[in-house]
Amino acid sequence: MELTRRDFLKHSSFVASAFLVSFIVPQKARAQMVDNSVPEPNAFIQITKKNEITFFLPQAEMGQGAYTVLAMCIADELDAKWEDVFFEPAPVKELFNIPGMPMMLTGGSNSVKTRHLQMRQIGASIRAMLKIAAAKYWKISADLIQTKNAILTNTKTKESLPYGFFTDVIKLMKAPEKVTLKENSELTLIGKPTKRHPKEAWAKVMGHTQFGIDVRLPHMKYAALIQPRVFGATLKSFDATVALKKPGILKVKQLANHKIAIIAEKWWQAKEAINDVVVEWNERDFAKISSKDLAKEYESYLDKECLPMRKDGNVEEAFANAHKVVKATFKFPFLAHAAMEPLNCTVHHQKDSAFMSMGGQFQTLYRNKCAEIYQLPPEKVQYYNNYLGSSFGRRGTPSADFVIDSIYAAQNEAWPVMTLWSREDDIKMGSYRPMYRNSAEMAIDKEGNILGFKAKVIGQSMTKGTIFESFMFKEGIDATHKEGLTDHQYKVGSHDIQGFCPDSPIPLLWLRSVGHTQTGPLVEGIIDQAAVAANMDPIDFRIKNLQNPRFVELLKSVAKQSNWYKREKNSGYGVAVVESFGSIVAYVAKVKVENSDYKVEKIWAAVDCGLAINPLNVENQIISAVNFSIGITKYSEITIKNGEAEQSNFYDYTVSTIADTPEIHVEIINSGEKIGGMGEPGVPPLFPAVANALFDATGKRYTSYPIRLS
Amino acid sequence: MIQFTVNDKAYSVDVAEDTPILWILREHLNLTGTKFGCGAAQCGACTVLLGNEAIRSCSTPISEANGKHITTIETTKDKEVKALQYAWVAEDVAQCGYCQPGQIMNAASLLKKNPHPNEAQIIDAMRGNICRCGTYNRIKSAIAIVAKG
Repeated sequence: MELTRRDFLKHSSFVASAFLVSFIVPQKARAQMVDNSVPEPNAFIQITKKNEITFFLPQAEMGQGAYTVLAMCIADELDAKWEDVFFEPAPVKELFNIPGMPMMLTGGSNSVKTRHLQMRQIGASIRAMLKIAAAKYWKISADLIQTKNAILTNTKTKESLPYGFFTDVIKLMKAPEKVTLKENSELTLIGKPTKRHPKEAWAKVMGHTQFGIDVRLPHMKYAALIQPRVFGATLKSFDATVALKKPGILKVKQLANHKIAIIAEKWWQAKEAINDVVVEWNERDFAKISSKDLAKEYESYLDKECLPMRKDGNVEEAFANAHKVVKATFKFPFLAHAAMEPLNCTVHHQKDSAFMSMGGQFQTLYRNKCAEIYQLPPEKVQYYNNYLGSSFGRRGTPSADFVIDSIYAAQNEAWPVMTLWSREDDIKMGSYRPMYRNSAEMAIDKEGNILGFKAKVIGQSMTKGTIFESFMFKEGIDATHKEGLTDHQYKVGSHDIQGFCPDSPIPLLWLRSVGHTQTGPLVEGIIDQAAVAANMDPIDFRIKNLQNPRFVELLKSVAKQSNWYKREKNSGYGVAVVESFGSIVAYVAKVKVENSDYKVEKIWAAVDCGLAINPLNVENQIISAVNFSIGITKYSEITIKNGEAEQSNFYDYTVSTIADTPEIHVEIINSGEKIGGMGEPGVPPLFPAVANALFDATGKRYTSYPIRLS
Repeated sequence: MIQFTVNDKAYSVDVAEDTPILWILREHLNLTGTKFGCGAAQCGACTVLLGNEAIRSCSTPISEANGKHITTIETTKDKEVKALQYAWVAEDVAQCGYCQPGQIMNAASLLKKNPHPNEAQIIDAMRGNICRCGTYNRIKSAIAIVAKG
């Protein structure tokens, strides 16, 4: 059964459908000779004599569609047959590093943003090399050779040969110094709505996809962990006598990071033995920590002078002369990522080498951690990146917490060992999105101009003490406090934006869209209040005060889609527009309030990611971001009491379900600007769009997340 | 010794009776298509059919499978599962894909009982299956395609 895109639209009764409203060809995407920045294109593409073509993809596939979109870029320029190509994760090697970065890394919605041109060059280089090889063989000019579906055709003789015929020849060839990329009219995949590659899609629905948790190696064993539930606690002593008598248990050992690994024939046996190990922890004063107390501390900074993040204009004068001033305080809780696949990593420590197999966002960093701990040269550690059962940042951790557990657990063992966290470990052991207490004030004049903007962001740094500190933590401020806030796109006369980063032993980590999870709702919340104070329509007020025409286009799009100016009076409508990771997303949310509950009924979205290489995947990422963020808006919250998280599994750490899903309508505007990311940008505007819609419905401002009406 | 079939193949295992079906599938029979998500019947990633009934295999002891048939995502014969797999690919449902075997098995159980569910019935049947990628809109439309026949 092969459904076409048209069938697909016709058959989908609850469909969210993308429409391309414009297609402006970006200057840089026109056919052109470009310097080839990839000296070894052969490392990315393997062609066998049987003409089987495999792409070695250097980005992690965690659901965001990186494999499909990057493969589209290669396959289009290579003229490969789309359905027939295979993917493999690229090994950890320098030549697979992110262009301009000393590592392989998937994060910050960077896969397509940083690699689309490189991938096109790789495909174009190999195609050019194949044509040169065939030209020599047929003794004709390369211009007289056509390529299609991985076949070279001599246009003079009509003779055809598969790419595989020349595979040995191109292996010995040097890559061209310049390559010609296709003209837009020649593209067959780029820019076209393309479903997930059928090989990936079918493997996923048949249960054949290998995620990290599915790694199976000869003689491998499994480890379950005992971890201190109080953050900062250290191991005092343990007694495993009883556990060691249980079936399947091979070993109980203390790891260098204050955890205990139970190694067994089966993971279930190891997990069952946890309660048979008697453990004593040194909890000291850490057991007194609570999120309530931390929140009080954070809130106390809102009344104090904090560290400067942006100061310009005369903000005192602006507020003194204001026609109206609006104010808000915001509360954001700690959040767990709760990626669908529990955290795991399999490591085999061999004599002079090691093998690790997992699903990770930071391939190079994890490989290097293993080399460092085992005191091996990095190239002696072989790293295999499997599919990731989602991540949202959790598998891109500079602390490498769960990876280090696995490296220690397998250290000096004869067998490969998979160390697997339970869901309780995942929810309780942190690496949370930080908790924040923020404030915002905006001063406007009678005409609705913004005279001044004051804001404070108080939250623990997520980069301090990590390898990202040197460029993300400066003068006491975390870059993720500022993103989306100090660089907002509104015309504002003066600023006084401050921040502070209190410390605590709670481990933190970026969650999908990072700092924008707190700055998006702040900026788009206070702007909405200012619009009401100015007695203006929220979209009109934004358009009046925005300085970026791309934002304005998106607002006009969602206004039109939602019939904004003639919206139903008995519902709640809210708008928000946020740029993050190089892309801009605007939403109008429609909510229905009933008793003390609410439902997000409909989302109209407009997206400008420069050029949508795969519009269907852009739409899928909006669907993903909306549903993911509704869970955060309505339910999710980690609270700390007596030093430990009070939540432990999906019954008390609530996320969105199919019952929360709104109808979603997406429009893509190809502005032709620089290509941005899509994994994250759909997240930040969802929170304020819903909060603003709730204001429209109830007359009350909701700024404390998760938003509960009663 | 506990005896059962998985996808029409007979197995017998000698394990602790309270071992969850999930871990027998994954660690004894090497059928890794069925996923561990929460271990507490809270997310649905481990859903398989016991007879025609969708069960959370992480919280169902293997003793309950004695003498019974288990169907997992690896089945090549189950009519509803096959139809759903086609619809899933056609509707471009899977993103990370980790929860999808459980979603499909749960949807198969719904369709066995009610071959033509409406949207409200689909939501009601599927609300226990978490998808952190939030592919719910696509899941609904894929099931609706099969439900319409």
